Amino acid sequence: MGWNQARAIIWAQWRTVRNYIPRSSLGGLVFSGLLMALWYGAFAFLAGLAGLLLSRPDDLPFVKKVLPDALLVCFLYWQIIPILMASMGSSLEMKKLLVYPVPHGQLFTLEVLLRISTGMEMFLLLIGAGIGLLLNPLIPFWAPLPLVFFAVFNLLCSAGVRDLLVRLLARKRVREIVVFLFVLAAALPQVMILTGGHEKIRRFFSGESSPFLPWTAAASLAQGEFSWISVAALIGWTAAAYFFGRWQFERGLIFDAGEAGARTTSLGRRSSPLEWFYRLPNAVLPNPLSALVEKELRFLTRSARFRLVFLMGFSFGLLIWAPLAFGQASSPNSLMSQNYLSFVSVYALLLLSDALFWNCFGFDRSAAQVYFLVPFKLSTVLIGKNLAALFFVFLEISAITLVCALLRLPITLIKILEAAAVTLVVTLFLLSIGNLSSVYNPRSVNPVKSFRTSAGGRMQAVLMLTFPLALIPVLLAFLARYAFDTEWAFFAVLLFGAMLGGFVYSLSMDSAVKAAEQRKEQIIATLSKGAGPIES
Amino acid sequence: MDASPAISVQNLRKVYGAKAAVDGLDLQVPRGCFFGFLGPNGAGKTTTIRMLMGLAPPTSGTIELLGLPMPERALEVKQKIGLVPDESLLFDHLTGLEFTEFVGRMYGLSRPLARERARELLALFELDSEPRKLIGDYSKGMRKRAAMAAALIHRPELFLLDEPFEGVDAVGARLMKEILLEQVRRGATMFLTSHVLEVVERLCDRVAIIHDGKLVLSGTMSELRSGSETLEDVFVRVVGAERPTESLDWL
Repeated sequence: MGWNQARAIIWAQWRTVRNYIPRSSLGGLVFSGLLMALWYGAFAFLAGLAGLLLSRPDDLPFVKKVLPDALLVCFLYWQIIPILMASMGSSLEMKKLLVYPVPHGQLFTLEVLLRISTGMEMFLLLIGAGIGLLLNPLIPFWAPLPLVFFAVFNLLCSAGVRDLLVRLLARKRVREIVVFLFVLAAALPQVMILTGGHEKIRRFFSGESSPFLPWTAAASLAQGEFSWISVAALIGWTAAAYFFGRWQFERGLIFDAGEAGARTTSLGRRSSPLEWFYRLPNAVLPNPLSALVEKELRFLTRSARFRLVFLMGFSFGLLIWAPLAFGQASSPNSLMSQNYLSFVSVYALLLLSDALFWNCFGFDRSAAQVYFLVPFKLSTVLIGKNLAALFFVFLEISAITLVCALLRLPITLIKILEAAAVTLVVTLFLLSIGNLSSVYNPRSVNPVKSFRTSAGGRMQAVLMLTFPLALIPVLLAFLARYAFDTEWAFFAVLLFGAMLGGFVYSLSMDSAVKAAEQRKEQIIATLSKGAGPIES
Repeated sequence: MDASPAISVQNLRKVYGAKAAVDGLDLQVPRGCFFGFLGPNGAGKTTTIRMLMGLAPPTSGTIELLGLPMPERALEVKQKIGLVPDESLLFDHLTGLEFTEFVGRMYGLSRPLARERARELLALFELDSEPRKLIGDYSKGMRKRAAMAAALIHRPELFLLDEPFEGVDAVGARLMKEILLEQVRRGATMFLTSHVLEVVERLCDRVAIIHDGKLVLSGTMSELRSGSETLEDVFVRVVGAERPTESLDWL
């Protein structure tokens, strides 16, 4: 039978993409295409630079110094960024493929190749580096080969981590703890480096002291320095990654998510302890708005993906920025330490943005049709969703402030007010952009999955282009405080920003409602369809 | 023909948390038989089919399909099974032809052969009039017909049919029934779940009824019915469908 089935899966995915393109909006496609071209173009440029550097014989001493660190960064990016972005890239739709007689080896190979989707940026850089090494006359012709092994090691490792995470995250109530531990582990290197002892870490991770590590072994071989120890280390790590990946994959194939999910919930579902929280909107809002907000609160708190990013906002967010603000290398008067709370709050918005702003119909996609049938305006629906988003944003800031207070970080009342004001202004702009984006570029999302499947690069590109827009008024406020040296200037500019945000919000609401009416058939069709053999 | 039963299930259990979705199921389906597997909603039919397909590992118990143990010989077993699944296993962004060809290739047919058979099957099921139409745009009945066409492409020995007639119009259903009966005549075995008891009564020669995960009745159609009882009467009697009616004044 050969590799017929693997080829059939790739062919079906190609047809799926080919069939989908003519039916999606041209504007959305062009926008996504431009974003991806910009993002990956930047990495292709960097790959070109790396190639140029590695091809010049004169720069070899410098290359020798930085290559192990560069490969370590490559490894960390490949393995950790997907966790930080809660985006695990494309993967096979096992539920749809397991009914067919496909040998597990073929499925595993495809799954490993799909891990390229989480590290495409690093893949480009390694290709650039490999070409550079090939062109360097002082480097032997076989030298780029270790980079291929290094890429394979990363793919296998990433596949194993993904399968392990998917299984752990299928267990309700356990998954938040698992993710919490994972993100803490992911942030650990930065915390350790910035809070001291980084020399020890540096000595461990790079240089001659640890030739057995995959990045140091690959770097040494890639420079043409042949040694059996490096060869054995690289092959050993790749083999270990293969066994880890394959072991996790096989366990994933016999894993029953329904069974794992039921194990912790079967103790009996009494009325939820959060019932009072869900009913809060009833106290202040009229129907149908209160019903809409209540539904959003219920839905989002039950969505594994939302719970994950919400938890990350006040745990991982705090941890990742704390060393920069209060670490050994920072000064108490630095911009970061002075505005720590605002930075963390804006970072939390970045994490929450996919669930609350950009794609507000995509999470509860089955309800999208109802929104066009109910006897009230679509603007009411959007306002309901936006109010729920606002509610969660302020809950997040409250959690961040509380954790800061518990950790005895230097946070004053004025800093809390500052963070709240900054977050409100940024949120207004994000809601404005998000309402339009939700209508023009709706995507179906599986709210049960904690990690996004879409390629990280596209999402990162969206965030990188839209976030600066929303941050402009806040940056101006910081600039005003710096120029006039008074808090009044800061709050005055923020107030102006809030008024501008309100105006932009009202304009975008009108446009979004009009567009939604015109595009309702497309929106419903996009949100109601499943995917091909590969989730992407 | 092999003397082993097409499906042999012993003491099969599937537990979700504290609830047993399937609880000690024993089932023998002879080869060449049209077997109806009935039960009210939530009785454990779909869980049983998922276990037979290898999609959900049993908590305990053994499964043998076509004389081969599952999951040890899963690849060989799957090669001989035709599946009409619930709709979630279809690929919405493929056309009917592309999907059927894909399934054929997944069962090891060469691409030209899979394409040729896919064309013929779609013509048979009257799905060829709009070749560019995606499965996502199909009606419910058309989706079931597409799934049935795909299930036939590799001439399987055992069919697992999960509500195959759901949403299919009378003409389409008649065609499907004729094809399935023809497959039984050539020696294939049918394992059918359906809520349309008239269809089961007309097609199946053996029936089993599952309730709360347990097998409550099993036998040939003539053994099950006594006197003038229809299958519906038997079903209602066995699963105890008497429910207290509450008055809803506002209604």
